[in-house]
Amino acid sequence: MMQGPAGPLRDAIATAPVLNIGGVSKRFGTTTVLQDCSLDIAEGEVVTLLGPSGCGKTTLLRCIAGFWDADDGTIAIDGRDMAPVPVNRRPVGVVFQSYALFPHMTVAQNVGYALRMGGVARQKAREKVNAALETVSLTGFEGRYPAQLSGGQQQRVAIARVLVMEPRVLLLDEPFNALDAKLRGTMQVELRQLIKTLGLTSIFVTHDQEEALTMSDRIAVMRAGRIEQVASPDEIFDRPATAYVADFIGTSNFWDAKARDGQVALPDGQSVATHLDGAVRVMARPHNLRLMPPEKGRWRGTVTFHRNVGPLIEYHVETPGGATIRVATMRQERSRPIADRAEVSIAVIAPASCAVYPDA
Amino acid sequence: MTDATLSQGHAGPGFGERLADALLSGRGIWPAVPAILVLMIVAVIPFAILLSLGFSDIQISRGDIVSQTFSLTHLANALSDPLYWITFQRSLSLALTTTALCILFGYPVAYLFLTGGTWTKRLILILTIAPLLTSGIVRTYAWLVILGGRGVVNQTLMGLGLIDQPLRIMNTHWAVLIGMVQIHLPVMILPLIAVMSRHDRQVVEAAENLGASRLGTLRTVILPLSVPGIGTGAALVFTLSYTTFVVPQLLGGGNYLNAATMIYEQVVFSLEWSKGSVTSLLLMVTCLMVLVAIALVTNHFTRWTKGRVG
Repeated sequence: MMQGPAGPLRDAIATAPVLNIGGVSKRFGTTTVLQDCSLDIAEGEVVTLLGPSGCGKTTLLRCIAGFWDADDGTIAIDGRDMAPVPVNRRPVGVVFQSYALFPHMTVAQNVGYALRMGGVARQKAREKVNAALETVSLTGFEGRYPAQLSGGQQQRVAIARVLVMEPRVLLLDEPFNALDAKLRGTMQVELRQLIKTLGLTSIFVTHDQEEALTMSDRIAVMRAGRIEQVASPDEIFDRPATAYVADFIGTSNFWDAKARDGQVALPDGQSVATHLDGAVRVMARPHNLRLMPPEKGRWRGTVTFHRNVGPLIEYHVETPGGATIRVATMRQERSRPIADRAEVSIAVIAPASCAVYPDA
Repeated sequence: MTDATLSQGHAGPGFGERLADALLSGRGIWPAVPAILVLMIVAVIPFAILLSLGFSDIQISRGDIVSQTFSLTHLANALSDPLYWITFQRSLSLALTTTALCILFGYPVAYLFLTGGTWTKRLILILTIAPLLTSGIVRTYAWLVILGGRGVVNQTLMGLGLIDQPLRIMNTHWAVLIGMVQIHLPVMILPLIAVMSRHDRQVVEAAENLGASRLGTLRTVILPLSVPGIGTGAALVFTLSYTTFVVPQLLGGGNYLNAATMIYEQVVFSLEWSKGSVTSLLLMVTCLMVLVAIALVTNHFTRWTKGRVG
């Protein structure tokens, strides 16, 4: 058995966050871009800041990197307050959206830049550069200039360049934006595996929910400068804390309802438990609904549109109230999809999986 | 003419329309034709005349050339005349010093533009461009007021008790140099700003993130990336100050001889057109030599821009 600090001290070390963001706010003039953001990130954890453009995710990233100072709150790495630490002394590595490679330096010079600035001896630096290039499978590209590399290779140089400085926290600002869709999917998986292998504590910034779901141990959904929910991808997807999160992640059906005696009646006759009372909004994922012949259910509607989404067929069903409900069913080889303009009825598969939010 | 106009055999568009079409098509050399015509008239033909005058003996009677025979005498005379060597040496060192000082003073301004906020940028642009809106002669005369015996500089220094008698600045090498740097500084700053603001702002941030100090970032990233701007600015400033006439003439007090004022003397006062032509050709050739040198040095420091793929 390994020897080490026992009891509470060991727990404290194990649970002490690498990065601690406490109540950070940032204003530009009269515009508040970040408001009271708090987030702890544990050793080796990959957290994504997810939100639409302008929600403050990049601002938070820039505050952590030290490009901007937070107006309020603290940012600490390994318990050390970063406020007095200038940008070039922070143990933070940034992979920029544009990669920001030095166009006048070769791949080897780019990767070795941090070591050169840190005064690392030439021989040692060369070994580290070679090791970093091997990690990102770019051995043999040492002498090339960035302009002679493909987008994916440039991204790997940007990552290797940050790896050699052995940062405590890795920050990635929408690193897949410049790549085409197909390469993006491959690079996401590769990068996730690389980061997990190296055990790097990382923060991703993205507006792409799929990317967030692929890359993260936890996702922090941001909205107008605030962190709306922080949870694992599964939890964010299955139990979104607010209607905003539910709407932002995945496809959602919303409708208004009344809660009475801790129960909300669903349109198909079933009900879901809630602690709310009065006017509420109910959310159901398309895959939690199914279609039946019209006479078998109470929630009737007309199919207006259907489309193939990978292994699923998504139906748009217009209900008499005028709302369009989206229903996803597994594609089945022998049965043909239900025709447009067909009368159907909708049923909730698992009522408990419907979320109930206060009426906004 | 384009294929389209050829295939329209009957009742095609009129000549004017076809010419306009050719000019606007953006194909071949057609769009450049007006500029080529103008350059032929104002540059190539005069240059040919200059060449022919420089390499011949001519006799002038009442402002007209009455006889012209081929001769290398003027070139030989010029190359063996110590006055030529001294004058060209002075022109060259004045122009090179001006260029160096313009880089030295212009670079910090461009750096300030790069790092500054919106208002700093605007102010720098206004202050850089405003002098270009006034004539060089006006700007040069302004220096008379500033540097003269009773000018602002001398009045201030005497008022402070630093000197008893006015310094003699006007009509010296120093007055010429000060004027040259001021006149040509914008021509250095503008290409520097253009090149420096073309680069990704994030490249500078990346350098800082990777541990570079401000000086380190300047030395290893900003400076190497701005070499093309320095090259362009240096080429422009050198050409303008090597061939300048107004500044040495006005601030040098009429007895400051550089290549341009020498040509002026030869052509306007002595009416020695052949001599003036040879001097002009020598000025042009030496200027081109320096420009080639500047281009070679610039290319050496921007090897990374070559050999791009796809």
